[in-house]
Amino acid sequence: MEFLLLFWEYFKIGLFTIGGGYAMLPLVTQVVERRGWLTSAELINFIGVAESTPGPFAINLATFIGVKVGGTTSLGVFGSILGAFTATFAVVLPSLIIIIVVTKLFERFKTNKYVQSVLYGIKPVVVGLILSAVITVGCSVILPELKLTAITKEGFSQFNWISLIIVAVFFPLSKIKIKNRKIHPIILIVLSAAVGIVLFGALKITQ
Amino acid sequence: MKKVSLWQIFITFFKTGLFTFGGGYAMISILEEELITKKQWITAQDMLDMLVIAESTPGVIAVNTATSVGYRLRGFWGAVIATLGVVLPSFIIITGLSFVIEAIADNVWYKAAFTGIQACVIILIINAFTKMAKQLERDWFNAILVIAAFGVATFTDFNVIFLIIIGGVLGVCYMLIRQAVINKKARRLQSDETSSTADSSDGNTADVAPMRSADETRGDNPPLETADTDGADAVSENGQNGGE
Repeated sequence: MEFLLLFWEYFKIGLFTIGGGYAMLPLVTQVVERRGWLTSAELINFIGVAESTPGPFAINLATFIGVKVGGTTSLGVFGSILGAFTATFAVVLPSLIIIIVVTKLFERFKTNKYVQSVLYGIKPVVVGLILSAVITVGCSVILPELKLTAITKEGFSQFNWISLIIVAVFFPLSKIKIKNRKIHPIILIVLSAAVGIVLFGALKITQ
Repeated sequence: MKKVSLWQIFITFFKTGLFTFGGGYAMISILEEELITKKQWITAQDMLDMLVIAESTPGVIAVNTATSVGYRLRGFWGAVIATLGVVLPSFIIITGLSFVIEAIADNVWYKAAFTGIQACVIILIINAFTKMAKQLERDWFNAILVIAAFGVATFTDFNVIFLIIIGGVLGVCYMLIRQAVINKKARRLQSDETSSTADSSDGNTADVAPMRSADETRGDNPPLETADTDGADAVSENGQNGGE
């Protein structure tokens, strides 16, 4: 049953993602939360891992969520692998079907005014959704108690100033260009992990 | 296009999947090098066409590109094999890695490292946002949709899939309204012209006629362009779309 659900949710995610990896994120966040598949900290951790391991970001994320969901079944390791397969297959299947059809009809597809206007309407929505992901992820890291759909005073009780400082320092760093190339995201991730370890170590020593 | 074996397709895309970090766009430069320059399986124009498809169809861009190239090279099985090739490295690496992550998830140093990484992830998403936002035209339609989608997705539990569907529907409505406005203007202008000259009858019969005639009148009548630049933009766009 869990596998069918995983397939269905990821098929929908694959079908409604336009614009690639990060456009998929808002859909993933919502599904994962609604189904209770991962905690938001687990998801955010894994976004970092997915970005710094080989392969398309969105596929990495799908595979990982599949492993997690499959792992909760009674099938153990086999369940994890089956889950990974289910999610990856489901997210790729809409692409496979649609691309084959569209490649055949490419010339008509490219100039069709309805296709163009649907895309014209979807693009700003996707941009709004990614901005929403910025705020949602930002809040769950910096204000972990805050629920954006039901804001209360208690939500502000816990404040991760360390994360905020890292964001403030790394954001300009991500914009710096060396020899006309921006610093690669993997380097940023490794650096930020190092900063996390150093800060934690420093805190431990002072305590 | 050359005749390529399925095995070659598989190996090429497996390698591409293995050496791509991040997302689709990182993969595209590798694919260009591999497919156009080195192997000469496809031309630069083919690649550009496939990129248009990959970006404007649902799904992961890297996978869409692989499927598209595979399909062009060897039809259905080419598409399946290319997709399998590009996804397999992720599948193997992530499945393996997730067991390692499970095992060390409670380690304090691991947690400390991820305190840093979580903050970095925020930046990655901010950068993805600014990159996509830059590609949008600056008009009120886009502005309203960005803000509305952001507000609803952030502060309510409304399903984001419905937001995407609504966006598509609004896109079509917007196009139809703009077209109607332009047609009306063109007709008014045309009736003005018919009263003086009788040369406008040629553009009134075909189904694309309203748009084409609008285009022509725009060319003939500079005053329209200066009067309403927004409308003129729409005319050229619709003229293009209707020109197939």
